[in-house]
Amino acid sequence: MKNLFLVPLIFVLSGCFFGTAPVKRSFPEVPKELMESCPDLKLVEKTEKLSDVLKVVTENYSQYHECRIKADTWMEWYKTQKQIFDSVK
Amino acid sequence: MFLLNFIPDAFLALVVNAVLIAGLVGTVASILFKLVIRYIPWFIPYRTLLQAVSVLLLVAGVYFKGGIGVEMEWRAKVKDLEEKIAKSEAESKAANQNIVTVYKDRVKVVKEQQVVIQEKIKEVEVKIDSQCTITAETIDILNNSAKGPQK
Repeated sequence: MKNLFLVPLIFVLSGCFFGTAPVKRSFPEVPKELMESCPDLKLVEKTEKLSDVLKVVTENYSQYHECRIKADTWMEWYKTQKQIFDSVK
Repeated sequence: MFLLNFIPDAFLALVVNAVLIAGLVGTVASILFKLVIRYIPWFIPYRTLLQAVSVLLLVAGVYFKGGIGVEMEWRAKVKDLEEKIAKSEAESKAANQNIVTVYKDRVKVVKEQQVVIQEKIKEVEVKIDSQCTITAETIDILNNSAKGPQK
C-alpha cells in the first residue's frame, strides 16, 4: 500500500515533459518589384557619332540609378521587416 | 497533452473537477470508513479497493487540476502570440505597400530625368557630332567595360 504512492509520483514528474506551443509564423513576402534582377548595361552600336554613344551611356547611368534604388529598397525592406519581426515576443 | 488542444476548455474543467471530487469523497470515506459502513454495511470487503481507487483518483485529480491550469496558461499565451503575429503580419503587409510605393516613385523620377537628358542630347546632337568623331576602338573599350566580368 505504501508503494502505491510511488506510482502517482512518477506520473506527476512525467507530466513536466509534455506540451508545445502550436504557433506558426510565416516569412514576410518580398515585393515582386524587388525580385527582378537588374538588366545588363546597354552596348553601343558601331557608330562615329558621339551623340549615339552619349545616349547609351546616359541610359546606362539611368539604369545604375534604378538599380541603386532597388538595392537601397532591399536594405530598407530588411530593416523594416526585421523591426516588425522582432517586435513580436 | 497535444490531444488536449482539441478538447473544449469547459469540458476539460468539468472532467478534472469530477475526478478530483470523486477522489476527495473516496479518500474521506476511506478515512472515516467506520462511520460509512454504518450506513452501507455491504461495503466492508471493498475497503482496500476504495482506498486504492480513491488515492489514485485524488492524485490524478490534483495532477490534472495543476495540468489544466498550466494548459489554460499556455492557451492564453498562444492566443496572445497569435494576436501579436496577426498584427505584425498586417504591419508587414502595410510596410511592403509603403516600400513599393516609395520605390516606384523614386524609379519614376529617374526615368523622367532620363527623358529630359535624352531630349537635351537631341537638342545639341548636331553640335556634339560636328566637333568629335568616335573611333571603333573607343566603342569596343566602352562596350567591354559595360559587359563587366563575363559569367
